[in-house]
Amino acid sequence: MRILLAEDEKKVAGIIVRGLKAERYAVDAHHHGQSAWEAASTYDYDLIILDLMLPGLTGTEILERVRRKNHHVPILILTAHDGMADKIKNFEMGADDYLTKPFAFAELLLRVKALLRRGPVNRDSVLRVGDLEIDRLSQNVKRAGKKIELTAKEYSLLEYLATNPGRVFSRTMIIEHVWDQSFQGLTNIVDVYVRHLREKVDDASPVKLLRTVRGVGYSLNDGSQT
Amino acid sequence: MNTRSISFRLVAWYAGLLAGIFLLLCAVLYLDLRHFLEKDLAESQSRRTRQIANTLLVHVKQTGESYVASQTKDWYKPEINDRFIRITRTDGTQVYVSGTPDDGSFDPAEVPVFSPSSETESYRKLKLSGGKTLLIAALNFKSSGNPDYLVEFGELLDPVETMLDRLFLQLAWGLPLAIFIIAGGGYLLVRRALTPVEQITQAAERITQHNLSERLPVSSTGDELERLSVSLNRMITRLDDAFQNSKRFVADASHDLRTPLTILRGELENFACDARLDSELRERAASLLEEVVHLGKIVEQLFTLSRLDDGEAQTEWTRFDLTELAQTTVGQMNLLAEDKGISISCDASQPMFVKGNHVRLKQVVVNLLDNAIKYTPENGAIQLRVHGVNGHAVLEVKDNGIGIPPDALPHIFERFFRVDKARSADSESAGLGLSIVKSICTAHGAEVEVQSTVGSGSCFRVKLPLSKN
Repeated sequence: MRILLAEDEKKVAGIIVRGLKAERYAVDAHHHGQSAWEAASTYDYDLIILDLMLPGLTGTEILERVRRKNHHVPILILTAHDGMADKIKNFEMGADDYLTKPFAFAELLLRVKALLRRGPVNRDSVLRVGDLEIDRLSQNVKRAGKKIELTAKEYSLLEYLATNPGRVFSRTMIIEHVWDQSFQGLTNIVDVYVRHLREKVDDASPVKLLRTVRGVGYSLNDGSQT
Repeated sequence: MNTRSISFRLVAWYAGLLAGIFLLLCAVLYLDLRHFLEKDLAESQSRRTRQIANTLLVHVKQTGESYVASQTKDWYKPEINDRFIRITRTDGTQVYVSGTPDDGSFDPAEVPVFSPSSETESYRKLKLSGGKTLLIAALNFKSSGNPDYLVEFGELLDPVETMLDRLFLQLAWGLPLAIFIIAGGGYLLVRRALTPVEQITQAAERITQHNLSERLPVSSTGDELERLSVSLNRMITRLDDAFQNSKRFVADASHDLRTPLTILRGELENFACDARLDSELRERAASLLEEVVHLGKIVEQLFTLSRLDDGEAQTEWTRFDLTELAQTTVGQMNLLAEDKGISISCDASQPMFVKGNHVRLKQVVVNLLDNAIKYTPENGAIQLRVHGVNGHAVLEVKDNGIGIPPDALPHIFERFFRVDKARSADSESAGLGLSIVKSICTAHGAEVEVQSTVGSGSCFRVKLPLSKN
């Protein structure tokens, strides 16, 4: 998998490149709009990560040019602006996803993976993490064969964490997916829900699945994945 | 009518002043005319007494008293002319007294004798029983060799009084009418002159932080009002510049803070997750990471505010049920409250349809509830109520928490304002939650107010106009 990264901030680019390389992706980083566009038109990338504020050509201009060539390559926009109008404009021009700085690298990685797999993130109707079973059709949750009663929100949270076992989800990501934008900044609600979920899912079992990664967020992990 | 308005006061003063001056003028005119006419009549009578004395009484020795009497009667014809003439010798003998006048207004026999004691008192007025007044002049005639005579000559004051009455009537009618016309005309004139002021006021009312680019109408009349609107416009321009500057500052600052925050966060995440590092180091990195995330949250909220300043909440308006929104939000926040042993009751049953940005209005409810939960001690109670009050939907969040001191109340919607600096240390928020609430409410034309008593709790009330269709 080959990824083009256009980001003028060298340190930010460095972190992303390091992180993506650790996940075994091939990454080409460009700090200038013009060179990024040349690379995009020369090579066949699997994904393009575009910062909007670039010298030379802006991210929006590159997005426009790539789409004009009718490329079906997924494009992820990185920006320091998260105005609703900007977001809509870029989606209309063909962006596939949008990430606002500052972001957790975990979140970037999750989005990159989702874009590269394009949909079939996990289509199984039953998600399994260790001895935890989540039936997405009936919304039944079982631990070691024993049924666990969850509220609707607890279920959504658990299901979201279970879509990528071992992956760390930031509180902001969880808020955005399980709640909605109105809860922005109210991350302590996630902690409360995770605590309740933990009581129901983990308390009765010696193996703790719900893990806290301090400063980053939460993950659902049976120990086989890290 | 507003009695404090400039137009009213101006007209009232000016009409009052004019009325005073007119009244004074009329009184002077009336009294002076009255005095003049009476004096004039009295003088002509004095003249006649002197005529009688100097032409007839002088020669009384030669002609005899009966001649004097018959001549006087012939010359003045007192009965026909409603006059009163009496010539008396000082010893009391009447030489001549006129007969009853044709109109019968007085009986000459009844008229008391008027003998002027001094030079100045040359005439007097006698009120008759019929309501008329007789003006009598008298003359003491002394000449050597002749007996002393008293000559009295009287005439009715009637024509003078009729004339004065008529004048009085005309003034009594004319004065109020004139004042009325003056006041009416003045009011119209003042209103016309002040219309631009009214227009300027209305235009100024419409200008808020969201349309500071608008200007007041300037009528190019070259008068004071033109100068006023021009200088007001210049003031709005300066305000606009200052406002744009501060807005740009917040936007630029939060934008420029994001890149270093991204770097910090990325690097610290690497440290915190790097299994090769010592666990104590990782723990420290994680602690730093938490602070960076908190910092990021503050920047996020600042950015939200700057976007709201830009009018973001005025876009994507839909019509929805505020009651339903309140119920769902309470459901979503319930656990957060339960965690602190706080109960939330939701008293909202009637559908209340409002128009607005759904996401942002939900944020209002979320922030208010979050605030209430934060400042209510364990086992407290929070009440959320949605009800309708004449054309408005009122959303009320009431808690029985620690309350807000009165001196802090006017400031709680200000950015970064903290009621208690000490309390902020452990708290997660940046003191921007209520500013965001205020900003969203303003964008929706909604009022937000707060009542609070220290120790017994606070009540936040948001009043949104109901949507009819």
